[in-house]
Amino acid sequence: MKIAVCVKQVPDSETRITLAAPGPELDRSGFTRVLNPYDAFAVEEAVRIKERLGADCEITAVTIGSDRAVETLKKDCLAVGCDRAIRVNEPALENAEPLQTAKVLAAVLRRGAYDLILTGKQAIDDDSAQVGPMLAELLDCSQATVVTKLELGEGVFTATCEIEGGAAVVRGSLPAVVTCQKGLNEPRLPSLPNIMKAGMKPQETLTCADLGLEIPAARTRVTTYSPPPPRAACRMVAADDPAAAARELARLLRDEAKVI
Amino acid sequence: MPNIAVYIEQSGGTAKKVAWQMTAEARRLVDRTGGEVWAVVLGDAAGAAEAGRHGAHRVFTASGDAFARYDAETWTRALAAFVAARRPDLLLVGATATGKDFAPRLAARLDAACVSDCVGLDFDGGFRLRRPIFAGKCYAEVAVEAPVAVAGVRPNAFPLFAGGGADAPAESFDPGLGGFAPHAAVVETLTSAEKKIELTEAEVIVSGGRGLKEAANYQLIETLAAAMGAAAGASRAIVDAGWVPHSHQVGQTGKTVSPKLYVAVGISGAIQHLAGMSSSKCIVAINKDPNAPIFKAADYGIAADLFEVVPALRDAIAALD
Repeated sequence: MKIAVCVKQVPDSETRITLAAPGPELDRSGFTRVLNPYDAFAVEEAVRIKERLGADCEITAVTIGSDRAVETLKKDCLAVGCDRAIRVNEPALENAEPLQTAKVLAAVLRRGAYDLILTGKQAIDDDSAQVGPMLAELLDCSQATVVTKLELGEGVFTATCEIEGGAAVVRGSLPAVVTCQKGLNEPRLPSLPNIMKAGMKPQETLTCADLGLEIPAARTRVTTYSPPPPRAACRMVAADDPAAAARELARLLRDEAKVI
Repeated sequence: MPNIAVYIEQSGGTAKKVAWQMTAEARRLVDRTGGEVWAVVLGDAAGAAEAGRHGAHRVFTASGDAFARYDAETWTRALAAFVAARRPDLLLVGATATGKDFAPRLAARLDAACVSDCVGLDFDGGFRLRRPIFAGKCYAEVAVEAPVAVAGVRPNAFPLFAGGGADAPAESFDPGLGGFAPHAAVVETLTSAEKKIELTEAEVIVSGGRGLKEAANYQLIETLAAAMGAAAGASRAIVDAGWVPHSHQVGQTGKTVSPKLYVAVGISGAIQHLAGMSSSKCIVAINKDPNAPIFKAADYGIAADLFEVVPALRDAIAALD
């Protein structure tokens, strides 16, 4: 079985976005970059499948990113069990929209006959949750999104997908694109010796030209980044008597905020 | 003059609330710019009968056995056939589990612009869509630079139509599925044993955090939520501790929510939690520590022991009216 895991390097969830005023640019220079947390579930799932299947399974980690992304591939993918890595280094794709990303990833994936393509349910920077289903369309294959349980059979898969108020079980044929949700597994941490050894695994760096692809055009453009609407200062309810405070709060919510 | 198509997602023969929120917002927009609002229904059209009242000018339906169970490929093909035939400038899809599943796939098939989770919709010769990024730490205004766009719309972002629309004439369209068999499909739907209100659709949410001290005390949150007709949420800390399932988590690696009222109980207010709930219309914080960052995000605060305040609040709310 050949598995591809598509990963993205994103600012970590503790990142503060500082925007003094609305503007066309977002200052991303001070961000601490990590593997997208949902992609970690994808990497872990691939490694667990390989552990079940043994040597007859190869995992390729794929990313689009600058040299900065090499660390993520090495430490969070190769050092935890991926076998090889492919990175598309194309400065024009920095902050690309999902369809551009999906087209480039699809070009990479078409070069190998992958049975299973795993990725996170969304990246926590642009929160689009688009690349997975787009890949499935571009590759004309099955998809299952926001998956919390995945079972593989002979050329088939069964996935449990999180939906409103429950779960949907999706069954279909391989190849498939599966987007991973928290709960699917518990990602392991890389060990220091494995990080050292990860550097020995094959890593390929490509451009769009290498893929015989023109850089895909964007269909959207962010014109303005703006901070969230400001909130008025918090009104503290006197809390000396909890019961009185609760009554006052209930009154405020009904009569002033009009939300209950 | 833009024509805006709205996908009407149904559940048990009724349209989802977000569908009518989208027709309403689209109608308010085309009333300024010219153009029409088209409700698009796949499968049983029962839920579309009231589309006109919710702002739609016309209803387009496709029926057939292919829509008996959901799969992303069939929905993609059918809606792509609709877009090819009718050429709307924008197709709105609710940002529900189903909508998020097929909308990007559809956009890829149409080679269209695709914008997720929109909370604002405008047109000045081209569409301008507003959406939160970084789970709401920042907002982006996105200009569509393609002949057609597929946009996801967050539930509860827009109010319903108040203009008293007329009946909308319905006609059918050919979904172009002739013999198509998808690679995968939903074979079973499992509903949680307890009838719970879904976080992302809830108008009121009560969330608990580390201040609850132990897993058993989460029932305080559930009891208050039940009294308020609210959904029960949780901070990442208590999800990671295994007290409640991840489906309850609010925050950057959980659900991003924007209810009318969000009550944060024993939650300190880590940046990743604030990111997931700060677009709520009204935020209440109950926390022993008056310096907790959650109070900076809140509209109303009580700095006191949650074990005293929460039961009292439940009684106070029951005593209203």
